[in-house]
Amino acid sequence: MSADRLTNFRPTRRHLMGLSTAVALAICSRAARADSDTDRATAFMTQMVAELIAVVNGSSDTSGKAVALQKIIDKDVDVNGIARFCLGRFWRQASPDEQKQYIELFHKVLLKNITGKVGDYSGVDISIQKTFTRDDGIVVSTSVLRPNNAPAKVDWLMTVESGHPLVIDVIAEGTSLRLTQRNDYSAFLTRNNNSVTALLDALKQQANG
Amino acid sequence: MSGFNRLSRIVPALVLLLGMGTLSGCATPPPADDPDAVAEYRETNDPIEPTNRLIYAANDRFDKAIFRPLAVGYRAVLPQTVRDHTHNFLGNFGMPVQMINDILQTKPRHAGDSMMRFVTNTTLGVGGIFDVATDFGWPDHDADSGMTLALWGVPTGPYLYLPLFGPSSPREGVGLGMDYMLDPFSWIGVDNTDRNLGYAKMGLSAIDERARVIDDLDKVTGQALDPYATIRSLYRQHRQSQIDDARDDSKPTIPAWFPAAMRHSSKPTTASATLQ
Repeated sequence: MSADRLTNFRPTRRHLMGLSTAVALAICSRAARADSDTDRATAFMTQMVAELIAVVNGSSDTSGKAVALQKIIDKDVDVNGIARFCLGRFWRQASPDEQKQYIELFHKVLLKNITGKVGDYSGVDISIQKTFTRDDGIVVSTSVLRPNNAPAKVDWLMTVESGHPLVIDVIAEGTSLRLTQRNDYSAFLTRNNNSVTALLDALKQQANG
Repeated sequence: MSGFNRLSRIVPALVLLLGMGTLSGCATPPPADDPDAVAEYRETNDPIEPTNRLIYAANDRFDKAIFRPLAVGYRAVLPQTVRDHTHNFLGNFGMPVQMINDILQTKPRHAGDSMMRFVTNTTLGVGGIFDVATDFGWPDHDADSGMTLALWGVPTGPYLYLPLFGPSSPREGVGLGMDYMLDPFSWIGVDNTDRNLGYAKMGLSAIDERARVIDDLDKVTGQALDPYATIRSLYRQHRQSQIDDARDDSKPTIPAWFPAAMRHSSKPTTASATLQ
């Protein structure tokens, strides 16, 4: 190898080392960021679980609990994102006005269903088991204990895309809330000539019924 | 054999009903120029949906008229503790077939759990009325032939809604039959008394299981726009998670009561000493 070629080679090698250091640093910082994301998700969940337990086990009646729960949901749950997910391919078919109506109704029905579920609960305990990342977000696994019930495994899927962790799905004993809802809506739409208007009417009945 | 007698009655009835099903209607696939709809149709994988819906409607009517009221009555009459002990007692009968499936799934730790559950709960737990095994570190888990077939790589196949049994698939349907054949309790007994006890156990198990899901099922059917589709979705997801749990299981062999000091005795402690 000539000296000329060696001098040509040296910068490349230096570059290479520089590059590998940069890559290593990038990987480290990405890992660190992922760590900090899971830490944030765990911290966020700890806070949310504490608030949830306080409301559910609290002494207020169903309507009082509903108000308190709505606050937590508005703050910590990406309801608009979940609503869009649940409408799936029909979201694009809906007009902007229908989309707006749908989102509003979805909020109402979701809150109604959730408060209907927890209205009569008491003595609930939720413990955080572990946090891990998945393709579609960060999952915090919890174990939900209700008196006279076997412990239930509930996973909370969240995204940190907006900078602040938000819940985008609840997976109870392996069943995803938003996927089940999406399958329900799509079956309904398929049997009603893919009419979003029909879905909105049905949701209105659910929200007001 | 009483077990075989029962089976010889159930199987033709099932075959007849399934045959009726395939005759009476298939779902219409969506037009090929709508790729989203086609993808959804494939994902739903319910080619005999109209038939399944008919059976679902029949089951639902039976449930509303007879089964649910029975379960509600059962829950109202018996206190929670009695129901829990009944549930333990009935569940204990399922341990041998569960252990056989654990072995077929090549899950020796699970098989050990099932065996110790059966032994301790039948003896110390007074015939299975008390679940002492869980406290000893042998908790219950799910294992049946449908899961065994899944772990062997058998695909689930299209959705099937079975009369009385409810949500299923060809794989799970075959699994039901296999569980029946593998269950030693299906084959014990030679006279009418044993057979009637078997029926009583089956009936009570059904009411026990129904009573445990009254509230959850009421909420599902009350809140869903299409209860049939929602149950289909919930069933599939739950089944998949049971199978995933069995596949990913990495439970340590050592039970909870084993002295902590002796747990790590098998570790090569001398190796680190020689290194220093």
